[in-house]
Amino acid sequence: MVLPGTATAGDYRFALLLATPHRFWSVDIDERFETPIEESDDVHLMASVWDPETGTVLPDSGFSVEILRDGELVSQEVIYRMVSQRMGFHYGANFGLDGDGTYTARLSVGGVSARRTGAFADRFGDGETADIEFEWSKAVRERLATEQLDAAGERGALRPMEMGELPEARAPEPAALPGTVLGTGQSDDAKLVATQLPGDAARRFTDGNPYLAVSARTPFNRLVLPAMGLSASVVRDGETVFEGAVEPTLDPELGYHYGTVLPETVQSDDEVTLDPTTPPQLARHEGYERAFLQMDSTTVTV
Amino acid sequence: MAPRQPSLSRRELVKAAVAIGGSAALSACLDREGGTPTSPGADPADRPARQHAWNDALATDDHGNHAFRSLERAFAPGNDGLLFTIGYAPAYFDHFDASLPESVDLPEPEALSSFEDPASDEPDAVVHLASDRGSALLAAEEGLFGETDAVDGVEMETTVEGVFEPASLADDGPHRRTGFVGDGLPAENQDVSGVPDSGPVPEDSPLYMGFDSGFEKNQASEDRVTIEAGPFAEGTTQHVSKIRLRLDDWYGEQDHEERVAEMFCPVHAEEGRVEGTGTNLGDSNQVDEGCVEHIDDHAAEYGRVGHAQKNARVREDGSPVILRRDFDSTDGDEAGLHFLALQAGIGDFVATRAAMNGTDQTDSPAVRQRVNNGILEYTFVRRRGNFLLPPRAQRSLPRPDP
Repeated sequence: MVLPGTATAGDYRFALLLATPHRFWSVDIDERFETPIEESDDVHLMASVWDPETGTVLPDSGFSVEILRDGELVSQEVIYRMVSQRMGFHYGANFGLDGDGTYTARLSVGGVSARRTGAFADRFGDGETADIEFEWSKAVRERLATEQLDAAGERGALRPMEMGELPEARAPEPAALPGTVLGTGQSDDAKLVATQLPGDAARRFTDGNPYLAVSARTPFNRLVLPAMGLSASVVRDGETVFEGAVEPTLDPELGYHYGTVLPETVQSDDEVTLDPTTPPQLARHEGYERAFLQMDSTTVTV
Repeated sequence: MAPRQPSLSRRELVKAAVAIGGSAALSACLDREGGTPTSPGADPADRPARQHAWNDALATDDHGNHAFRSLERAFAPGNDGLLFTIGYAPAYFDHFDASLPESVDLPEPEALSSFEDPASDEPDAVVHLASDRGSALLAAEEGLFGETDAVDGVEMETTVEGVFEPASLADDGPHRRTGFVGDGLPAENQDVSGVPDSGPVPEDSPLYMGFDSGFEKNQASEDRVTIEAGPFAEGTTQHVSKIRLRLDDWYGEQDHEERVAEMFCPVHAEEGRVEGTGTNLGDSNQVDEGCVEHIDDHAAEYGRVGHAQKNARVREDGSPVILRRDFDSTDGDEAGLHFLALQAGIGDFVATRAAMNGTDQTDSPAVRQRVNNGILEYTFVRRRGNFLLPPRAQRSLPRPDP
């Protein structure tokens, strides 16, 4: 993987990364579809976009790339939101190029689709575009090929790349989440950490009611799992006291999470059930091709 | 592609000539299309008050002023002759101290989604010329801009030379744009960037995306798009955008059924309602109340929603509120669409586009901002412009407060 550069536009900071063409699996609801490497593919282009103020990686938007060479159009595509073991959440696609030389990748992010709260409420509503140049040459290809050989043969979840100024799309340790952690459920390997913010700490989400936040992440490296459908229920002494959808939300303190207003405070011995109604709608890189697809509901007893 | 190449088909030659323009292109075109006028226009006084009254002229088929009247004398209204409009941008009316009346809804162009960043087209005016005859388009252009004294044998009373000059547009926008619509034309012209090399555009499709589009019942009527009251009554507004088409994944990653789901509605796909380009649908795309009411259910069940299904939410008395006269293009050697729509006010277009964004449908996580969300994945808005088409009587350099 090489990092040709970063750029800032408006509220967003962008990074462009290149790798050898990758096979990946796109996901629609609970079905996956392999996107094989095509003969015309030269490069797997990846982009990361984050808030330079907080370092929060911004998932759950739309992203497109226009590739230009000497001002002439080479390609333009909407690229897909993806998760990989080394990058976590990012946007990516395979592209064919037009020979060696200097290219411009014009990266465009759309407004963030998730609900935005706190200091994020007035930010990330509109998209932005930034240009990053990259070289395509024998030296770059050799570097990418060597790196791929080094990465082959490792077992288990690969360690996420540490890439200088690039923030990682990681969820906080449960203990670092605001509020009171109610418990961690597990569903098809994903960890769903439920935390409750009391009314006075949840003013940016509620009118004084407590707030339930669910942080979904991969089991070992805490890579954020966005773009999931989630509902929750709270059962007390056999009676359902809450049932409803939990909405994707981007918050400066909680990060990307799923959240909902609770009618009353969850108490000791309550059963909180988290039901991923739709698995994360993210394309999977190799290593995650079967992960986070058959997601059953999970219950934690407080 | 140069017009002198003898191997070009008539249609290829005419298309190339129109794309290039100028007197040499016109004579090449006249040689192929037959050099004599087919049907001169009648007395301009018989023309309707509305510039945009094209439907009757197209199906079978005034007041006073100069260069435009000369064109009306030279050409019969219709696809064999010439149809044209002239529209004026907000930038034009800014030259006056007075403002447009409230009865005219003509904002400056702007981005209409969070994921587009179009250049604003702000010339003073735009002329839209339409004909099946390339020579008519070229002759009209030559006549309007004073390159020739007579058009199709009719002398030009005057020209707009010295009044208008080619506009200098933001981001090097071309001041002259060409295109085509009609069965087979996109397939003949698919050797451009944006269409896969395999040549997937169906032989009989009128547009690059492979489906019929101008279903009569899915167009607003000319009455609906006409400004009803005020000094510009009988006029209309025109939105002109340039859309780049990127159809590799449209044709490469999807089969007919998936394309039907994204263009029309997932139920159209499931029930096999659309054969080929959709001619079997008749005079309506058959996107009915069921498609509209169940759009959120479709998002959850099928993981995608259709383009027509989203847009159908803006119907009024069962009809859309915009009248599309868009056409495909190979300008810049890339597959494109000049999206041209008429509506009583630009707000009608903005509402239609907002519906097309499908923002609410992204509450279903399978429907992304631009993926599984109609045709947003394959269309890239490059430019937008808004114009007022005054009634014929005021089409020549109107004041904002006539």
